[in-house]
Amino acid sequence: MKMCGIIFSEMYSDELNAFTHDRNMAAIPYGGRYRLVDFALSNMVNSGITSVGVLAKQHYHSLMTHLGNTQEWDLNRKNGGLQILPPYASESLNQANRGKLDELRNALDFLREDTSPYVVMADAHVICNMDFRPVVESHINSGCDITVVATQSKMSNSNTYKSVIQVDGNMRVTSYALDHVPQPGDYCGMSIMVMDRQVLIDTVSEFTARGVYFLERDFIQSRFNTGDLSINIYPFTDPVLRVNDIESYFSSNMALLDEGISNALFRPDRPIYTRVNDEVPSHYGMDCNISGCIIADGCILDGNAEHSVIGRGVRIAKGATVKNCIIMQGSVIGEGASLENVIVDKWATITAGSQLKGLETAPVIIRKGVTV
Amino acid sequence: MIERKKECISMLLAGGQGSRLYVLTENTAKPAVPFGGKYRIIDFSLSNCVNSGIDTVGILTQYQPLELNDYIGNGQPWDLNRNFGGAHVLPPYTKTTSNQWYKGTANAIYQNIPFIERYQPEYVLILSGDHIYKMDYNKMLQFHKEKGSECTIAVINVSMEDATRMGIMSTDENQAIVDFEEKPAHPKSTQASMGVYIFTWAALKKYLIADEADPNSENDFGKNVIPAFLRDGRPMYAYPFEGYWKDVGTLGSLWDANMDLLDPKDPLDMRNPHSKIYARNYASPSTMIAPSSKVSNSFITEGCRIKGTVENSVIYTGCEVEEGAVVSGTVLMPNTIVRKGSTVSYAIVGEQCVIEENVTIGARPEDCLGEDWGISVVGHKKTIPSGTVIKPKEIV
Repeated sequence: MKMCGIIFSEMYSDELNAFTHDRNMAAIPYGGRYRLVDFALSNMVNSGITSVGVLAKQHYHSLMTHLGNTQEWDLNRKNGGLQILPPYASESLNQANRGKLDELRNALDFLREDTSPYVVMADAHVICNMDFRPVVESHINSGCDITVVATQSKMSNSNTYKSVIQVDGNMRVTSYALDHVPQPGDYCGMSIMVMDRQVLIDTVSEFTARGVYFLERDFIQSRFNTGDLSINIYPFTDPVLRVNDIESYFSSNMALLDEGISNALFRPDRPIYTRVNDEVPSHYGMDCNISGCIIADGCILDGNAEHSVIGRGVRIAKGATVKNCIIMQGSVIGEGASLENVIVDKWATITAGSQLKGLETAPVIIRKGVTV
Repeated sequence: MIERKKECISMLLAGGQGSRLYVLTENTAKPAVPFGGKYRIIDFSLSNCVNSGIDTVGILTQYQPLELNDYIGNGQPWDLNRNFGGAHVLPPYTKTTSNQWYKGTANAIYQNIPFIERYQPEYVLILSGDHIYKMDYNKMLQFHKEKGSECTIAVINVSMEDATRMGIMSTDENQAIVDFEEKPAHPKSTQASMGVYIFTWAALKKYLIADEADPNSENDFGKNVIPAFLRDGRPMYAYPFEGYWKDVGTLGSLWDANMDLLDPKDPLDMRNPHSKIYARNYASPSTMIAPSSKVSNSFITEGCRIKGTVENSVIYTGCEVEEGAVVSGTVLMPNTIVRKGSTVSYAIVGEQCVIEENVTIGARPEDCLGEDWGISVVGHKKTIPSGTVIKPKEIV
């Protein structure tokens, strides 16, 4: 069955403002060589979607550079392909985020031009490897108005989830809560949804015309509560990483050291694509000591690194020590410097002998291009 | 009608079998053999073209071309997907009057005269896809023009010993070629041909046609065309090249060239951002270096999982070294797995191999003093059963 895709590129951008002052959520570097958007986008491509709209509101320069002509995702096509959908220069510019329905207004032309019966919507901040074809199949079979992909909460935790859904024994939805803490057995939405394309167009037009902008609250929740909307839950059982603040960004990077998670995310049958940089393979020096690290290409590693994620083209000089850190592309760690629980954004320089130490729950953050 | 032209186009001879690479070229052409972690040998010539401003490259294939065709694709990884020009794979094809394979290097170019003429070039650069080097062909082209040359051959200074195995140019004080000898027993000079030629197209075309008409010719550049230019006293010059250049035509030289990448002085200038070597990339995640691993003095590409010991080695995309396995002085080609308890020393292991547990491949030279030592080689897609011992110099 044919489907098109919509990616929301800046959900939670504000919570990661240390990295988003000049890029949006979708363009945040992740896992050494990726940007967050690569996952949602590759999932769509691997599910046979050839027409994708990426909604972008601000700071999307970096995202545009990353996507380029989209040939790495095979989306440089005559029919369909990838479109970045910035807002029309209208009243919505310079306004605080008014919600997904508002954003989707910028996708109306894209949606109208498309001919697929179904739309898959995903947020850039959710990292997983998913085939959307069975999701759409489940949507069709359910006959519901909307399908929400969700993970089941196994044990009690105190994290708040965007949407928490309770079901009965027949997987029929009994309650739909927002920004809520799940009980064991509850389903937590992954911000991946399927709707009929025409229904989505009508919903967006109708709701935004009335000045109602929030998809989850104003459409799904309120319609569900009045009995006017049926929700189908598609349970997803593979690992999922949600990045919605600095702490989860940090732990989601470190999660790649877990082979089970890494195997589930990077499946040879459904690769995650990203922009190619033509870096040389990384050189591990004579006296380096690297253990428990994720390392991209182009690095020169002469120092020590432990339990860290090292991006493309990073240099770790002799005698430098990096522990529990995320070092992004092109940054240089000088001789004898010592870093623990630090996130170093791109192209930063940590001068020789510097000592930086953060907490696991509150890492020190070094901004892009800064010299310390 | 005024036709669009290219000043210089390149013809890359990629049809050779490379039989001295034995198992590594059993099912693939030499230019498609993996090199240096993420590259294939042909990437160096292709990237040199692009970095020298040459955006039209004919790639002549004949022996086992499937992998190479697939690899080149539309030329996009090298920026060679051009509307006018770009990468073109040129296998031999049937014609109304003849129907033949490429008989020799000169015949391969002769058969593609119609391709070359589509671009109306002034000059044609002839390359072979089996050397590892970085070179600005544009500088050589300037030299060719300044000298008023019709045939310019790039040369590199080699040792007297190496000179006996190569094509050697003797030149006058102006770099004009006065003599050319193939593998001389007593070399008159140490300027060896790098297999990089620039011809003025009008002159080359004439000579190719004459060469084709000669039934006694082997239709080879080195044996026939260049001697003919020399015999007729055409203006020929040797362009001296300085820098890293390596023929990777033998297993030993292929291993050496890989190990040269580990030199911190970077003799090949791989990290120069203005002359990047491009390659087709496969989507693989960053490499994982597990806590149980020990890695030193190695080149490791993305997509690997290293849990064992890796030293003095070049590890290509997608390899896995399990806990307790030891890989040293070795070239592991893409997607090869070395399982627990295995030791791989001084070896080249081909693509997609599985080295099962407790296998011993090769040995360090210091451990077989007095014995016959050499690197061990495992071909592509081989599974080596548990407990196997592959001796130094053995080829599997």
